[in-house]
Amino acid sequence: MISPAARQNAEVSVNDQRNPFGSSTAGTEARQAVSIADAVRRCRWIAIDLNATSFGLFMVGPSPDRLVPCFDSAYPDFSLTKSISARDSEEIIRHVRLSTQPRWWLDDSNAAMLEKFGSLSWAASMQPLIDGSAGLAFPVHAERGRCGLVVFAGGEMSVEQDMLYDIHARCFSLFSSVSRIRPGDVGLTRAISRRELECLKLTANGYTSEEIARLLKLSVHTANQYLTQSAQKLNAVSRMQAVAKALRLGLIE
Amino acid sequence: MVRGSILTKKNTMTASAALFRTDTVSTRLASRGDLTSFLMELTAEIGADSYMLVAIGHGEVKNDARIVASNWIFDAIELVGRRLIASLAQGPLTTVPGSRPSALVTGEAPCAREFPSGEEAALLDVLGHAEIYSLALNVGRQCFFILMSASQAGQIDQSMLMKAQLKCCYALCQVPQLLADTTTQDPLSDRERECLFWVSEGKTTDEVAVILGVSSNTVNSYITHAIQKFSASNRAMAIATAIRSGII
Repeated sequence: MISPAARQNAEVSVNDQRNPFGSSTAGTEARQAVSIADAVRRCRWIAIDLNATSFGLFMVGPSPDRLVPCFDSAYPDFSLTKSISARDSEEIIRHVRLSTQPRWWLDDSNAAMLEKFGSLSWAASMQPLIDGSAGLAFPVHAERGRCGLVVFAGGEMSVEQDMLYDIHARCFSLFSSVSRIRPGDVGLTRAISRRELECLKLTANGYTSEEIARLLKLSVHTANQYLTQSAQKLNAVSRMQAVAKALRLGLIE
Repeated sequence: MVRGSILTKKNTMTASAALFRTDTVSTRLASRGDLTSFLMELTAEIGADSYMLVAIGHGEVKNDARIVASNWIFDAIELVGRRLIASLAQGPLTTVPGSRPSALVTGEAPCAREFPSGEEAALLDVLGHAEIYSLALNVGRQCFFILMSASQAGQIDQSMLMKAQLKCCYALCQVPQLLADTTTQDPLSDRERECLFWVSEGKTTDEVAVILGVSSNTVNSYITHAIQKFSASNRAMAIATAIRSGII
């Protein structure tokens, strides 16, 4: 049996990553990535500390506007998340985009839970995500504007003000690991040449092929070929998608 | 009118409740003054001397720091300069919520590292910033940074930092109007954002039109509007701007 302190230490060392805004390349990020199964295990540890019976992690996509289930306590099945994503979750999505404050809900007359949730500062109540239950929802954010929501539910959750900060911090680091998992994208990125990246970067800054050719002293055909090649290597179908992928992978700034 | 009611509420609270409050840091913020007193209390709580709340712009001047709130002396800000402040806030120092904080000790053999240079570190040390932490603060999709510094190395209580970081995130969420700036705001409408997103996923105009159930002329006009709002020169640049500022 692992003690809670040892468990948290292990968690911190897993989470201990370099700053995502810095110059880390896709390669080093990939080494720190965890698998979904690891993430579920870490989320379960948090749920145990909260005495929650179920949990789930969602991505909030830029479009379409809905909660995209990533995993939940029924892993590898999706029983909890199915019931949530089917509901109208517009309110909470709007909240996640604009705020980081936790939200709680209570859909039964549980006086003890109401008192616990009511005494939390910074947190407010929301529409229940799951009928007939009580729960907490933590908005989480990662680099490049990725948003998510970590949800815990259960009838006898234990939560105090001091714990709330700690739990939320752990949700943040969990989400930042999860948002680094990018199956299929990683191996390909290394092969992109310096010249191709230069062309991509200039395209992102609004230059046309002709302007790029003039700036880099190439012929227009060569500039176009560099761009086509980089799009192919990034598995993109258009120049726009290649730029988007390179930015999201952190290949260009 | 709203402003008036907030002020009255605040005044009555300072008069009566504040004396008996057990929580050291207040949890209701409404005005600029509340933000300042919150940040000062938070700074004292972790054992730091100075704070500086910074937003990093992605506009014309890249990596330009916009100082939202600070108790640094004016001369220190001028001497250190916004460029160095920006790279302090958003550099290798930055601690994202949930990761272990690391400090910059300005008095400590700075020649070994590339950033900041020896001169810059000595300047910060002289100005009374011997130990500096940079905490990333997520306020919804926006990200701010707070520099916490102390005149003595080891003065800041590391174990309190993580809690303080989250508390500060929550507090900033209550006062979005004080943080607002044109460079960090999302200028796009929902439809324009959706169109840009699908184009960034490699869809053609016709495909986006099918996905959104509108005509391709409408899609083109949404995208043109988005390009104009970003004052970009073409689609690729509009997409790049949107991704850099975290809109899509």
